Amino acid sequence: MSMSKQAIKVENLVKNFGKGESLVEVINGASFEVNKGELVALVAPSGAGKTTLLMMIGCVEEPTSGSVWLGDEKVYENKWLTKETRKIRREKIGFIFQAHYLIPFLNIIENVTLVPQTNGLSKEESEKIAIELLEYFEIEDKATAMPSSLSGGQNQRAAIARALANKPEIILADEPTAALDIKRSVDVVKMLKKIATDQDVAVIMVTHDEAMLPLCDRILKIEDKKVVSSVAPKDTHIL
Amino acid sequence: MINLAQKEIAHTFGKFIVTAVGVGMLLGIVMIMMGVYRGMIIDAQVLLNDLDVDLWVVQENTLGPFAEASRVHEDLKDTIHVIQGVKSAEGITFQNLQLPLKNEMVRVFAVGFDPFGDIDPINPNKLIAGRGLGRSHYEMVVTDKAGFKLNDKINLGRDIYTVVGVTHGTVSSGGDPLVYISLKDAQELQFLYSNARIRNDRARGINSVNSHMVNAVVARVQNGYDVNKVAQDIRRWKHKSVYTAEQEKTILTKNLIKMASKQIGMFTVILVIVSTIIIALIIYTMTLEKMKEIAIMKLIGIPNSLIIKMIVQETVLMGVLAFIAGNIFAHLIYSKFPKRVVLETPDALGLFIVIIIASVLASFVGVRKVIAADPAEAIGG
Repeated sequence: MSMSKQAIKVENLVKNFGKGESLVEVINGASFEVNKGELVALVAPSGAGKTTLLMMIGCVEEPTSGSVWLGDEKVYENKWLTKETRKIRREKIGFIFQAHYLIPFLNIIENVTLVPQTNGLSKEESEKIAIELLEYFEIEDKATAMPSSLSGGQNQRAAIARALANKPEIILADEPTAALDIKRSVDVVKMLKKIATDQDVAVIMVTHDEAMLPLCDRILKIEDKKVVSSVAPKDTHIL
Repeated sequence: MINLAQKEIAHTFGKFIVTAVGVGMLLGIVMIMMGVYRGMIIDAQVLLNDLDVDLWVVQENTLGPFAEASRVHEDLKDTIHVIQGVKSAEGITFQNLQLPLKNEMVRVFAVGFDPFGDIDPINPNKLIAGRGLGRSHYEMVVTDKAGFKLNDKINLGRDIYTVVGVTHGTVSSGGDPLVYISLKDAQELQFLYSNARIRNDRARGINSVNSHMVNAVVARVQNGYDVNKVAQDIRRWKHKSVYTAEQEKTILTKNLIKMASKQIGMFTVILVIVSTIIIALIIYTMTLEKMKEIAIMKLIGIPNSLIIKMIVQETVLMGVLAFIAGNIFAHLIYSKFPKRVVLETPDALGLFIVIIIASVLASFVGVRKVIAADPAEAIGG
């Protein structure tokens, strides 16, 4: 049985939009790996393809060519190797967005248990997981509250709890700190780092905020439509 | 598993209920339309059922007094009476009258019959006050809907009539209140001209006017005789058109109200289609309002089937609630209509099935949006 630390592997990934003269190359030959327990920042100027790359790893956007492994499973090689991309998302990946994007007509615990229940867990089992997560994020007293009655920070923690509820191998976070002040941004990124370490999860975080980079283990930067890996700066004044 | 439809409806309960009630009022109108049609069928049969005769003898080559002008001599009843198998026969007249009531005129349908004859069109079970006609002149039995009371005096022509009885639930096929007067009075009103007219006619060489006419002779057949055979005998020997009770009922319910029923049918179909379109638009709008949530659900891996189930359940529930609201609305207002409205359970059940099918069809517009929703739309903005 494989005990590989590899959570994500991307090889020669290409993504083009349009055809002929209107063809736009967004990613051209991206290759990188992310290991379990790592918090990796994905940085690039606006429009460079950060979110597109994140969506390709998340089996949402189909690449033009290349290969993608999630854990030990190769999910893409010039085409999706499974029709059940949504099942892969549901079972292996947790998504965190810039805003919390909780389902407004479900209360917090229902939001958190929605994916586990869809994965076949009973209501009781799902709620047990959800309560543990809400306790972890110190919002267990808000379990039956509606998202509209919670603060932005509480909702964001609930959204992270939802992302973790299916015990994912990978968390894809699309600018989770964009709407937060520096203190809350640091709190969220530290939380993601703790999750990565505690739960042995690979976290890729799209960010524009260079102040968050020292909190990450590594940086993936999109340059010339390729991905370049570098060590995170050790500027510790905000740590 | 979490029921998404239930949660979504609970979240927007007030809006959902108000929308369902709005659609329900439209469905209530559909039910009323169907009730008006049923009422017309029942109204058309009231007089026939109360008369309870087997044969209608009318002017040759006509469809009888309700469908077109028919005049036969009153003494035809004696000729009919002696035909083998006929138990009784009476002359009868029908005419529309305008009766003065306070400061307005009331349109009624007058039935003239011989109060001492064998056939009485006044159903004793429907007589709620007073008595039937007991004299040959100047008495009138009215239906309560006409607005007159017992012992009221009514000026009609040169005479004054006294209301001696009041019936309930007696109307003509056109929905007008029925009044009953003696055959002699009816003949004077319908066939007897004024003195000036008679003088004018004489000057034109028309010397006699026979007022002893009736619109039809109705007859009952003795037990053991075939109604159709007796009718055939009358047709052959008396050169009159003869209709059995069933044929007369068909003329009234099929021929006379055919256009009206088609009209109502058209309105009903159009209203059902409009209701379906409205439900579809509501569901489409409701789906558009939650496209972000749908995209998020798709992104985090919720299968289409679960989201589609939510849309279909919401639409069907909208249809069911609208149907219930429509039913309540229709039952609240139907008695306020001037003409008879009959709300029948089979009609309501039929409409319920149509609405459920329409709701499922309407949900397809929402389902199409769900299937087309791009999970990537959840990212950004």
